[in-house]
Amino acid sequence: MKLHKPLLIGLAASLLGAPLMARAYEGDWKRGNVYYRMVCTECHTSQAGGAIGPNTRTRAEWTAYLQADKHAKGKDSLKSYVGKPYRASIAASNKAAAKFADVPDEELYEDLKAFVARSAKDGDAPTGCR
Amino acid sequence: MAHKKHGALHSGWRIGTGHFLGLFFGMAGLFHVAFAVASGTADHNKFTQLQQEFKSGQDVTRACLSCHTEASRQVMKTRHWTWEALNPNTNQKLGKKTLVNNFCIGIASNQPYCTSCHIGYGWKDNSFDFTAEENVDCLVCHDTTGTYRKPSGLAGHPVYKQMEFPPGSGQILQPVNLQKVAQKVGETSRYNCVACHSYGGGGDGVKHGDLDSSLEAPDTDTDVHMDATGLDFSCATCHATTGHDVPGSRYTPVAKDRASPLLRGMLGKRNPATCESCHGGRPHKAETMAKIKPLPGYNVVSMAAMVNLHGEKLACQTCHIPAMSRGGVPTKMQWDWSVAGKMGPDGKPFVEKDAKGHTVYDSKKGAFVLGENVIPEYVWFNGEVKYTLLGDKIEKGEGYVPINRFGGSPKDGKSKIWPVKVFRGVQPYDPVNQTLVVPHVYGKDATAYGANFNWEKAVAAGMADAGVPFSGKVDFIKTEMLWPLTHMVAPRAGTVACNECHSRNGSFSEGRMKNVPGLKKGPLFKLAP
Repeated sequence: MKLHKPLLIGLAASLLGAPLMARAYEGDWKRGNVYYRMVCTECHTSQAGGAIGPNTRTRAEWTAYLQADKHAKGKDSLKSYVGKPYRASIAASNKAAAKFADVPDEELYEDLKAFVARSAKDGDAPTGCR
Repeated sequence: MAHKKHGALHSGWRIGTGHFLGLFFGMAGLFHVAFAVASGTADHNKFTQLQQEFKSGQDVTRACLSCHTEASRQVMKTRHWTWEALNPNTNQKLGKKTLVNNFCIGIASNQPYCTSCHIGYGWKDNSFDFTAEENVDCLVCHDTTGTYRKPSGLAGHPVYKQMEFPPGSGQILQPVNLQKVAQKVGETSRYNCVACHSYGGGGDGVKHGDLDSSLEAPDTDTDVHMDATGLDFSCATCHATTGHDVPGSRYTPVAKDRASPLLRGMLGKRNPATCESCHGGRPHKAETMAKIKPLPGYNVVSMAAMVNLHGEKLACQTCHIPAMSRGGVPTKMQWDWSVAGKMGPDGKPFVEKDAKGHTVYDSKKGAFVLGENVIPEYVWFNGEVKYTLLGDKIEKGEGYVPINRFGGSPKDGKSKIWPVKVFRGVQPYDPVNQTLVVPHVYGKDATAYGANFNWEKAVAAGMADAGVPFSGKVDFIKTEMLWPLTHMVAPRAGTVACNECHSRNGSFSEGRMKNVPGLKKGPLFKLAP
């Protein structure tokens, strides 16, 4: 079996590199806070009947909610509201979406997870809505 | 066999499976490091001193000091550690250690509760050792995980063992992972400062009016400098710190900074946290004025000159902080201790909340008035502040006894008109000795007001701890305290408009300046038609 070294390196990187990177990334709760407040809360306040404080749910409830990826009682995907296309669509009117326009989707989702875990009812720093 | 085969595949590289895996785990390690070290030059994760289980905060500090050998000695010289400050102009010894206010009143006998915001471990009473370096708390300012918390009542310690907090509440606090926090230390951020400075007086936004948790990640309207999606200043951007000494204390305020913009690196003894230290004394430029509609008779140049002229008599904050508590967190405006002690129908203490869930009455503390988007009051201020200290004679009358007095007048050449939060209260005092008092309010012991609801016992315990005479009699007195406003700077569009101070007849008898003495009336001050 004849394989070129660069090819193998590339294969290794593609097969192992991406998952390793994803595993290595630890959510930035501060960035998650900004996105939660300025994108999620802003929209919920103006269009969805009111904000939802991170401290209204436990860590387990948030984890389950984020894993289920169901927004608006399952009408659409939660992740889509964190994804780049959504951010681009509101960037003109939302500074947080504009600021984080290029952040990889997975990272921003991890940021949000880290923030709600910290700020949940039973988190290290329970936080309401402001 | 499989191993051999695998090894044969890579024989040309002279590496086996172990090497191969090592390479990939090495890559993983590199990626991990790349993410762990976002900024800064040291990955504390790698320091062997921090790869241990820490049993206490002091253990962590010992580890920190093994590299940062001078850090604690620097901290120990600062007000964050001593809670004392000598005002060179008045020779008054100030600071939380000795001052009395009209919020929680004072720390004497209440140390384990108040010192949850001390930059140290273990200040539970007057025996605290201010010379022990391991008592310095490095983590409270350098935690980046957001998991490091020092609950009230633990004398500045975080939680080491699972505990119910507050006792009897059913809420369980988990111990802080000190190893994780220590391995992730970094530069201070807004979150570190806000954790204490926004919670003074017993809760979020209570004390200052311009500091609350909304400043963790504010929007533009709340603070144009700290806007998390804009300039994103940290506290230290203005409070530029050297050797752990954070400049810009309210105990030595600068009311009128005449100097030109401050060249960074040339700090000297100048306060770098004034507006002028960046913007200078004539910050309004013609090109900026072009963005707003000029008043009749003005062009952009004369408009800029006219607005700059305001800066001779007005602090920048007067126009640029149109209201306090603009981030969605109310501030306390009044606190009446005299009505504390009421019991509910069940004979037990109770708490009453407003529609938004904010406490407005607590049997253990009294009644509160809260406010959001509150328009400040305005005073002439020259930077001199005189406090009423414990032991100073006071007299009960119709008016409010000042907890602090701001010096200043329209004629001294040193003053500007400043926006202030005026916090008004009714608090216990000694009617015989005619002094303010410190009551022992927190705790569950026999003298704590929150446990026995007896003012005489509570004040006797507090005054004994403070070492100040107490007659044994308690009455209540109205007090007020001034807080200069300097955070929550609004963007241009949110500044105070001309007609909020000026009137068409040229007087200031209406509007924001109506209670400021010494303002002339005349055609020069007429609001343009």
